[in-house]
Amino acid sequence: MTKITKEEILKIANMSHLDIKEEEIAPMMKQLEEVLTYAERVGQIAAETEEAVVKNTNVFREDVVLHSDAERILERAPEREESFYVVPAIIEDK
Amino acid sequence: MESFAFATIKELKTLLVNKEVTPEEVLAASLARFKQQDPQIGAALEVFEKQSIIDASEHSGALHGIPGLIKDNISQHNRGLTCASKILADFKSPYDATAVARLKQAGAYLVGRANMDEFAMGSSGETSAFFPTKNPWNTACVPGGSSSGSAAAVAAGFVPWALGSDTGGSVRQPAAFCGILGLKPTYGLVSRYGLVAYGSSLDQIGIFARTAYDTAFVLSTIAGNDPHDSSSLSEKPKEYIRALDGKLPEGLRIGVVDNALHAEGMDPEVVQAIEQAIAQYEKMGAKISRMQLPTLDYTAAAYFIISRAEAASNLARFDGVRYGMRTPDARTLREMYFKTRHDGFGAEVKARIMVGNYVLSAGHADAFYSNAKKVQRLIRREFVEAFADLDMLIMPTHPAPAFTFGAYKDDKLKMDLQDYFTCAMNLSGNPALSIPCGMSSTKMPIGMQLVGPHLSEERLLQAAHAFEQVTDWHAMKPGI
Repeated sequence: MTKITKEEILKIANMSHLDIKEEEIAPMMKQLEEVLTYAERVGQIAAETEEAVVKNTNVFREDVVLHSDAERILERAPEREESFYVVPAIIEDK
Repeated sequence: MESFAFATIKELKTLLVNKEVTPEEVLAASLARFKQQDPQIGAALEVFEKQSIIDASEHSGALHGIPGLIKDNISQHNRGLTCASKILADFKSPYDATAVARLKQAGAYLVGRANMDEFAMGSSGETSAFFPTKNPWNTACVPGGSSSGSAAAVAAGFVPWALGSDTGGSVRQPAAFCGILGLKPTYGLVSRYGLVAYGSSLDQIGIFARTAYDTAFVLSTIAGNDPHDSSSLSEKPKEYIRALDGKLPEGLRIGVVDNALHAEGMDPEVVQAIEQAIAQYEKMGAKISRMQLPTLDYTAAAYFIISRAEAASNLARFDGVRYGMRTPDARTLREMYFKTRHDGFGAEVKARIMVGNYVLSAGHADAFYSNAKKVQRLIRREFVEAFADLDMLIMPTHPAPAFTFGAYKDDKLKMDLQDYFTCAMNLSGNPALSIPCGMSSTKMPIGMQLVGPHLSEERLLQAAHAFEQVTDWHAMKPGI
């Protein structure tokens, strides 16, 4: 049975770049504990099998520009200036 | 005006070829049906204006004049693409998905955007940030999910076909709940270019239709290699309708997955319907044997882990910088990321991102992620071994017919377990087709899956087509 603490929820939310409100913590703990406790069963049969052999293959193409119409991408930004994305301050005031 | 409700692609094509009707009339009838009846169903997030639909497609081709609906996680150029999420509520797609481009080239009319569970995460349509879709057979029941709107629109007779996406069962389960066919093709047969990623190694665009013939027709249009998707197979386009002669392949060997059919929690009515279908296949000349897929009982667990892990990575891109929603008034970049994602994603999406980052994090990756990949390897091997002396497997799509809204509100694990019989084929890449095979005492449809080796779509469709010649489950219509 996987136990999840409040501290772990806050840590994972932080890794996930998600704000989490106080009242959202308890239901999130319950949902994560239930699904992870169920998911633990993969360990029961995985022990009987060998490591997965990675058989991925690369798919290459020539390094040539196919599309260069940046405007249709940039115009979808919430905020932009010329060919830049505008975001709030990156360095926080101490 | 003729309504053409519930007309199949095949029937509409005959009418169009004989010039008994014009493409515009067929389209107008479909749009009228959405306008009149979709307020009760909620299948479409948007139905487009008529002339814009006509202008977006070629004026000839194999599907010219045939209307269809596209799940709202598949890109249509300059149309909205919301994934039924607030975070993409105002986003417009800058390009066509390859499947969409091929349908437009074939002259199909893409009439709108189908409702869905947010980011394809759900099994009931209830996680849509906008509104739930209702089951046309009984509006107190869910249509299944995550491709809820696609399934409901076809079942309600608004359109003869629709596209969905299937990561763990999101085409097959709603097809079964709505009494229609739902095909998840072999991984890589249909390009994922333009499909918003959930679990990239599992995702596949799938097809809803009311007959095997129509499913084959749409598959022939969208399948085949695409240089834009490096995971697409090198398959050449194929005419899948050619094999549909109404007969079963000679000496077809069918394996019944006994540990699935008689799993705990199976509704006896579903078991009975599937047993009757098996008896029907035997009567049609198939050789039936009973077999087991022992790893099946671990596939939902492996699927939960792999899909959530991939989702956590795929959904990291929604951060309020390049597109989509941005929460105003954040003082710093970090605050902007955290608030935008908190406000933009619904509860189920956030929970899946959290689970994904947990199973990938230091200290947990071995117990969860690595072991899940081993289970994936085991189920793949079991399928390969099964198909050494079998041509096709039969197993349930779902344990019970469509449930009512809110049934799993307090038991999210039980909702997740809707994928129990379907996600194994996403882990293994095998094609699976859910076909209607019965009706419950409460008059709700029952479906079952035909599963084949990689790239055996032709055989699965042939077997479904032959079944349609001797049964009429696929022809039943809801009384809406």
